[in-house]
Amino acid sequence: MSKRKMFLRMITASLLRRRSRMLIALLSIAVGATILAGLVTIYYDVPRQMSAQFRNYGANMILLPEGDSQMARSEVDKALALIPEGALVGATPYRYVRLDMVSRQLSFTSAGTDFEQVQKTSPYFHINGRYPEGEREVMLGKEIADQLGMKLGRTMELTYQPGDTAADEDPSGDWVPGAVLSGSAEGWQNAMVYVTAELDGDAKIAALTVDASLQTEEFGGRTATDEAFLNQFIGKSLPLQEGDVDALSGATVTSGAIVRSLNTARRATGATESRRTFSVVGILETGGEEEQYIYMSLPELEALTGESGRLDVMELSVQAEDTETLQGYADTLSQGSDSLRARLVKRVTRSETTVLGKLQSLVFLVTAVVLLLTMISVSTTMMAVVTERRREIGLRKALGASDSSIRVEFLGEGMFLGLLGGILGALLGFAFAQVVSVNVFGSSITFQWLLLPVTVIVCMAIAAVSCLMPIKKAVEIDPALVLKGE
Amino acid sequence: MSLLEIKNVSKIYGELKALDNVSIHVDQGEWVAIMGPSGSGKSTMMNIIGCMDKPTMGEVLLDGVDISKESSKKLTEIRRDKIGLIFQQFHMVNYLTAVENIMVSQYYHSLPDEKEALDALERVGLRERAHHLPSQLSGGEQQRVCVARALINHPELILADEPTGNLDEANENIVLDLFAQLHREGTTLIVVTHDPEVADAAQRTIVLEHGRVAREVINENFQD
Ligand SMILES: Nc1ncnc2c1ncn2[C@@H]1O[C@H](COP(=O)(O)OP(=O)(O)OP(=O)(O)O)[C@@H](O)[C@H]1O
Ligand SMILES: [Mg+2]
Repeated sequence: MSKRKMFLRMITASLLRRRSRMLIALLSIAVGATILAGLVTIYYDVPRQMSAQFRNYGANMILLPEGDSQMARSEVDKALALIPEGALVGATPYRYVRLDMVSRQLSFTSAGTDFEQVQKTSPYFHINGRYPEGEREVMLGKEIADQLGMKLGRTMELTYQPGDTAADEDPSGDWVPGAVLSGSAEGWQNAMVYVTAELDGDAKIAALTVDASLQTEEFGGRTATDEAFLNQFIGKSLPLQEGDVDALSGATVTSGAIVRSLNTARRATGATESRRTFSVVGILETGGEEEQYIYMSLPELEALTGESGRLDVMELSVQAEDTETLQGYADTLSQGSDSLRARLVKRVTRSETTVLGKLQSLVFLVTAVVLLLTMISVSTTMMAVVTERRREIGLRKALGASDSSIRVEFLGEGMFLGLLGGILGALLGFAFAQVVSVNVFGSSITFQWLLLPVTVIVCMAIAAVSCLMPIKKAVEIDPALVLKGE
Repeated sequence: MSLLEIKNVSKIYGELKALDNVSIHVDQGEWVAIMGPSGSGKSTMMNIIGCMDKPTMGEVLLDGVDISKESSKKLTEIRRDKIGLIFQQFHMVNYLTAVENIMVSQYYHSLPDEKEALDALERVGLRERAHHLPSQLSGGEQQRVCVARALINHPELILADEPTGNLDEANENIVLDLFAQLHREGTTLIVVTHDPEVADAAQRTIVLEHGRVAREVINENFQD
């Protein structure tokens, strides 16, 4: 039998037949290795996860028109073809137009977009209700919804006026047959009531819409929907006289406000306008300026404005290894077209780098601490092992073991523990990383085969270092003293 | 021809003279017993002869080499190559089997040879207990394994410190028979004992008292 074989036989016998102590040492190494392997796995996997996360965190590039006017859709599509297949995760068009809510004498910036793409470039959007899907549906920014007292399921009329969209300052009483009038007055507790009336050829009221959404819902609010109440106005001419209309019971103040607002109504809309009534299906909450817009589908907006194929902004979510690559794509896009320029959205890319940097130092720190603790634990255990085996070491020396063979034997046992602990730790660590990844990032990771040798080598090195002191102690044991009969 | 020559050796621990100007010689192939009351310096002398300790003064010539002046590394080599040790407390590696314990001795000496180790066990009558752990062997059996281990590398000198101190009559006789066999094969034996019967088996008995040689007795009845 070769010496090496006997050496291995002795070491394995020591580990297998003297389980308890060695198990503790093995456990410390395995725990250390688990944390090491787990953290390293997460550390190397996180950048991948993070860029996926940050891609989810919104657009990282935007396309803007060069100059003041809008971009042509065709031009944009041509540019997007320059980004490699697969790298383009989402591309959301935006066209911004001022639309009036005539009844309230307010105007809002409205965005026409593609809601399917919005979900890719702005996944953090938090919607109450849902994204618009069908025709005549809008999503309101929360600020607007609050200002208007709008709730899900309500309707609102939006009007597009070409050119300068400010309403005329027509004096009241200039009644034009067929005109649409709108007015407002303070109702219950100073909250506004808005009315829109259409006049027939005889300048009599042909249709009336009341917007009482700021009034108390179960009292004044009913004026907007109570058919009998509203029908009283039809056929009456303006200004309304005392006794023309009976107040809705429980809504006297609001009823009075409706009469007053009709009497002070102005001609608000011109002939070239186009308007549509939309129902509110979603309210957007982001905490940012996105809450100041009204959103509708791009075709809907284009139908309202009558012009198509023009965009103000294109938000892109592009998959890239690092900022340089992303910048490269942006440069390609900018150079590929005279009328467009692409730029990176700085906020996202920077936070990505900062978080990774912090994560890196954290991982290094925790790893160092864990390795140190492992070392202390293994060293303590091995020290106890040497004490426990004083007689055996003395005996080996008496049988002719040299100092170096004692060293090699202990180092061998230590490294063998390192080997076992390392393999165990690498596997457990991977499992640990997998659990973390699934729970935190919601995605799984693949086993890095390199992790196994690296963990094992680190563990063996740590075990070797931990054994230095115990070995020194073992070598110092005097065979004569031990054999004397302790 | 003398294998061991101890000349004016003293071992002093502080005030205490464990060995006090001792001179002894042991011939090649001789079987010597050492007796004496407790604390008379028997183990101290065995440790010095066994290259595990050095005398404070004096010379110890083993095979013509003065081991009192050698480095501890050199002493380890000499012990490994020339000496077989047997202890009162058996001293086996407790997680290795009987045959593995013998192979440990081979491992440090030259090369482990399982067959040879099994033959040695055969010789002490424990062939069938080869794969038992020390905890599964009786005291007598353990001591016989230790004898097998001591002779496995064919040492010139076997040192036994109270080898039968913890054994019953039957096992004591087995061990003494083994010694007699070794003696016939030409091995030099030095056996420390309290037991007159064990001493009577030897050719010569040296009696120590207070670290000095009190007397030497030649065993007239010794039979080869
Ligand atoms: N390392 C030591 N330090 C101090 N004194 C020692 C040491 N080793 C032995 N002694 C002393 O030397 C004397 C001789 O001890 P030794 O062990 O040689 O006795 P022994 O003859 O073997 O006795 P026993 O029959 O009880 O085994 C004793 O008094 C002992 O206390
Ligand atoms: Mg003694």
